[in-house]
Amino acid sequence: MTDTAVPAPRRETGPYLRVEELRVSFDTADGVVRAVDGVSFTVAQGRTLGIVGESGSGKSVTSLAIMGLHDPRRTRISGRILLGGRDLVGLSEEGMRRLRGRDLSMIFQDPLSALHPYYPVGRQIAEAYRVHSPGAGRREARARAVDMLGRVGIPQPGRRFDQYPHEFSGGMRQRAMIAMALVNDPDLVIADEPTTALDVTVQAQILDLLADLQSEFHSAIILITHDLGVVAQVADDVLVMYGGRAVERGSVAQVLRRPQHPYTWGLLSSVPSLHGDADADLLPIPGNPPSLINLPPGCAFHPRCRYAGRNGTRSSTEVPELRQVVERGHLVACHLPEAERQRIHQTEIAGQGVAR
Amino acid sequence: MVRFIVRRLLVAVATLIVISLVTFGLFFAVPSSPARVMCGKNCTAEDIAQVEQRLGIDQPLPRQYLDFVRGVAVGRTYGSGDFSRACPAPCLGYSFRNNQPVTEIITQRLPVTVSIVAGGAVVWLLLGISLGMISALRRGTVFDRLAIGISLAGASMQVYFFGLILLYVLVYATGLLPFPSYTPFTENPLRWAVGLLLPWMTLGFLNSAIYARLSRAQMLETLSEDFVRTARAKGLSRRRVHLRHALRAAITPIVTIAGLDIGTSLGGTFITESIFGLQGLGKATVEAVQFLNLPVVMATVLLAAVFIVVANIVVDLLYAAIDPRVRLN
Amino acid sequence: MHVRPAGAADRAGRENTVRGRTRTLTCGVLAVALAAGGCTRTTDSGGGGEEEKAKTQTGSISYEAADNQGPAKAVDGASRGGTLTVMQVSDFEHLDPARNYVNVQQVTGGLIYRALNGYKEDGTGKLLLVGDLATDPGKDVNGDCKVWQFTLREGVKYEDGSPVTSKDVAYGIGRSFAPSLNEGPHYIQQWLYPGGAYNATYKGPYDGGKAVPDGITTPDDRTIRFTFPEAHCDLPYAAALPTSAPVPAGKDTRDQYDLRPFSSGPYKVKSYQRDVALELERNPNWDPKTDPLRTAYPDGFRFTFGLESAQIAERLVADAPADQAALSWVDVPPAVLPRTTSAGVADRVVKGPTQYTWVLDINTQRVTDLNIRKALNYAVDKDAVLKAIGGQAAGSPATTLMSPTTAGFQKYDVFNAPVNGDKAKVTELLAGKRPKLVLAHSNTEIRTQQAEALRKNLTDMGFDIVMKSIDNSSYYDEIGRKNNPYDLYLSGWGSDWPTGSTVIPPVYDGREIVAEGNNNLSYLNEAALSAEIDRVRNLSAAEQDAGWMALDKKIMSEYVPVVPCYYDATYELHGSKVGNAFLSDAFGIIQANTIYVKQ
Repeated sequence: MTDTAVPAPRRETGPYLRVEELRVSFDTADGVVRAVDGVSFTVAQGRTLGIVGESGSGKSVTSLAIMGLHDPRRTRISGRILLGGRDLVGLSEEGMRRLRGRDLSMIFQDPLSALHPYYPVGRQIAEAYRVHSPGAGRREARARAVDMLGRVGIPQPGRRFDQYPHEFSGGMRQRAMIAMALVNDPDLVIADEPTTALDVTVQAQILDLLADLQSEFHSAIILITHDLGVVAQVADDVLVMYGGRAVERGSVAQVLRRPQHPYTWGLLSSVPSLHGDADADLLPIPGNPPSLINLPPGCAFHPRCRYAGRNGTRSSTEVPELRQVVERGHLVACHLPEAERQRIHQTEIAGQGVAR
Repeated sequence: MVRFIVRRLLVAVATLIVISLVTFGLFFAVPSSPARVMCGKNCTAEDIAQVEQRLGIDQPLPRQYLDFVRGVAVGRTYGSGDFSRACPAPCLGYSFRNNQPVTEIITQRLPVTVSIVAGGAVVWLLLGISLGMISALRRGTVFDRLAIGISLAGASMQVYFFGLILLYVLVYATGLLPFPSYTPFTENPLRWAVGLLLPWMTLGFLNSAIYARLSRAQMLETLSEDFVRTARAKGLSRRRVHLRHALRAAITPIVTIAGLDIGTSLGGTFITESIFGLQGLGKATVEAVQFLNLPVVMATVLLAAVFIVVANIVVDLLYAAIDPRVRLN
Repeated sequence: MHVRPAGAADRAGRENTVRGRTRTLTCGVLAVALAAGGCTRTTDSGGGGEEEKAKTQTGSISYEAADNQGPAKAVDGASRGGTLTVMQVSDFEHLDPARNYVNVQQVTGGLIYRALNGYKEDGTGKLLLVGDLATDPGKDVNGDCKVWQFTLREGVKYEDGSPVTSKDVAYGIGRSFAPSLNEGPHYIQQWLYPGGAYNATYKGPYDGGKAVPDGITTPDDRTIRFTFPEAHCDLPYAAALPTSAPVPAGKDTRDQYDLRPFSSGPYKVKSYQRDVALELERNPNWDPKTDPLRTAYPDGFRFTFGLESAQIAERLVADAPADQAALSWVDVPPAVLPRTTSAGVADRVVKGPTQYTWVLDINTQRVTDLNIRKALNYAVDKDAVLKAIGGQAAGSPATTLMSPTTAGFQKYDVFNAPVNGDKAKVTELLAGKRPKLVLAHSNTEIRTQQAEALRKNLTDMGFDIVMKSIDNSSYYDEIGRKNNPYDLYLSGWGSDWPTGSTVIPPVYDGREIVAEGNNNLSYLNEAALSAEIDRVRNLSAAEQDAGWMALDKKIMSEYVPVVPCYYDATYELHGSKVGNAFLSDAFGIIQANTIYVKQ
């Protein structure tokens, strides 16, 4: 795959984040874990990319690689991560540190464990501000943190400033987390399962908040989730990952309305639809996610794929490339002939409801 | 907070009363008469009766206990007439062997043990925690392996052995240090420190082994916590991440253990005191046991219990101070 | 005649260092007198092969004016000043002169208070009993040893400057009768009230008792007179024990007196923290011209307690600057002995015999066959018995009942057996029999090892030995029972002053045997021997020493109640800045009266 094979929205400035052929592996006692194996994508400012996949698909590893949070002694990273034109791969720890929290920041899944239990919430936000604003005094940092707490919808932010994480409700904590991520007005925000730990009504509020803030700050957002419903709600583009590889990519409409990869079909059918009989609808993907140390040969999904046998042994011997199908910008890595895929989608999958 | 302290103090007092009752019962209800022990050889029944009267152990046991408690509160007088001995409050008994109130003996001996433990604790905490932290941060490196090896050796080494090696190397063979001795801090801080250097090193090194292992494990656990990742994601420097975020959380259980260790040690560090010839509480206790100097034994046992009980309260308070999630009521 | 002090049992230190605790109640003074120039050198027979001084003793009470006058002769090269440190394992049990019955306490007490008499030593082996507070060692007024009179020196003052009077000496003896101060020696006390316990009738000045016991009068402030119902020619020795030190009634703090005896000597108590340290400083009112015994060179003494014997020895071997003006009265433990032989250390070792002789008692009630008792004397490997307790440093092989520190001592050896035994002789004496004997021993580590060595040795020699272990605390009680079921057991005996009268009568006179608490542990009961004892006792003082020595040899030749095993020895160290640190023959430890700190 080359750059030209990845069409991206053409803008004068180009996409803010461009990830090319990213590979991340860890050495462990059991062998080399290839957590991310050649993934490319781009995110432009003001746009939201949803990365979906089961746990172990490499989506979180990808985001941590962008943040530079992997332990450099145990992790091998290759490829390019271009952020506003700078390659983050191979950047010094100090260079990366200056970017983190300022140019790119991250919202974590479980705000209770992601916030330090011993420090007041406000101080943690102020700390994030002061580290990148060396001239800022304590009072200025406090004012900024209180302001951010207010903007993410926390009532009485001045009083809340001095409270500890355990004194916040789940949703409030995630709002605080978001406030912390946005305190330096970063150009890229990575939200790793930001709503998974929250109950449904709060989820919706947080997603709305993210969307509002994006329009306000004009940041690029990567939203990592296993929940296609969330993707459908806020993302512009979608990247589906399986076994450390991208299996399908495109706009939300392309991937969710007209999915082309059997894995995406599986994902979609395992999402409870908002209408109809939930039990009847739900069809989980059989089998377990693959081991990243011993990835199945050929298409990593083939042991779980109902259609893998339809073109001889090709699925189990040859790694499928990510290729454009049907529409511009919609890419799929699957050996099934296009016509076959269309037919199966039409007859077997389309009947299944998809959120939205 | 205040309620917590009051409640804990009440429990502590109750605990101490029980301990004092048990020790009291043990020592004064034993068949061998303390009076006979004190009277020595050539003692007639008449002499023993006289000693018993002076000690107040001719009274029934509950009466003796009340006398003891009263002595702690307001002081008391042992014996009568020509042999009366004043024992001002807080009177923990009167040692006829030493011819002085037990409280006086303890106030002489306690500063020695406190000095040993205080210096030793500084060494073991600083050395142990920094070693443990550095090895956790350099996990798997030569430094880490070396530190783990040394701490394993330290943890399995006896105070006796290590103390004697230090004595041979630093005192007997090279004369680099004088043989340990105790000079009150208020008298000459430098001589105080020089005289206690060896026990501090011994106690410090051996205990630091345990603390190194503990803080390494704690630090490793904390480093894998989400909030540490958050701190790094904020762009904080390594130093700030490790010291302000990771160490702060990792240190909590260490504070607990250190508090209890220090509390226990204050009751007497007999082996250390004995190797280095220092006259602390530990030696006082063991000598008192050897000479069946019962009032001193009882007082030191009680005092050790007080230290442990107080250490528990202090640890709880510290815990609350460190971890805002802990509420004291 | 005298109660075996608990410590006659086992000498301090060595026995108990294992447990880090020392029971110091050893016999008090002992002594020796060496005839000037009377030293000869002999070689021990067999085994050890180390050359030792054999001392020939003569009478030692001096009435010579030159010996009895102060000041004490200056020590060549000595200098005044400095503080001498004495490092000890445990604190003194008592410093009160009425309760002082242990050698280390008596040497220390001698720095603080003065008794009527004292031992004068100069390190050459010459030891004299002279007057200390008294102008001479006591006048036998009627020549029958029943009435003794002492005259106190002029100008002897207490630490507060008030004069020492004979009434204070009488009061000091009076208070030694008090039941609460009963730990001291009670010779004079018993002689004043013979028959029954020493304080059965008079219990001292407390609780309304009179200040002075019957038989003591003080015609004036400088005269004290003792009148005994019976003859006591040993009184000059008894008057050297600390119970004759003066105690002013107004300064008597009774059982607290232990902590701060009122000074009549060159030093007074500066501070005393029990079990930690005792500090002595000069008594400005002490006048050297009144004192024939003490030069009092150091400005002060510091005794530190609570150290372990190995620590003390290692520190003295290392001789660090802070420890150079230090010494210890604790024997060097076996583990440190090898390090005391190197140059720079060997010349700081002070060693020599004490007053104790250790014998293997043969229970003559059970082992009646004289040939078996003789065979045992040929059989015992004295070298092996010594080795178990530390070898040559701990003692030297013995052939006599009395120790070489006894007045009039003459070395003899009835059997002339090699130190490792003579199997041929044993076989001949046993004449084909294999006697079965029960060997009792104390259960401490060292005594058990020693008994095991003895068992192996005797088994090799043709005896059947059954070992019986006895708890250390009741060892002497058990073997002191007349009808004890044992045949063999080791015991040590030391005298309170250096004459045979404190060894032969208490240990070998059959008339002394009672049901329990015996000192005659071989239970030898021979009328002829008792008669001999009475005869020697009635000899003049000058003839007595030779008489006891002859009796010693006679017992071993004719009755063979024991196997003499070894003479106990002391082995002490001092720092390089301690001058004139010689072994006191009177006390068996480094002396303190004329010691000095090198400046």
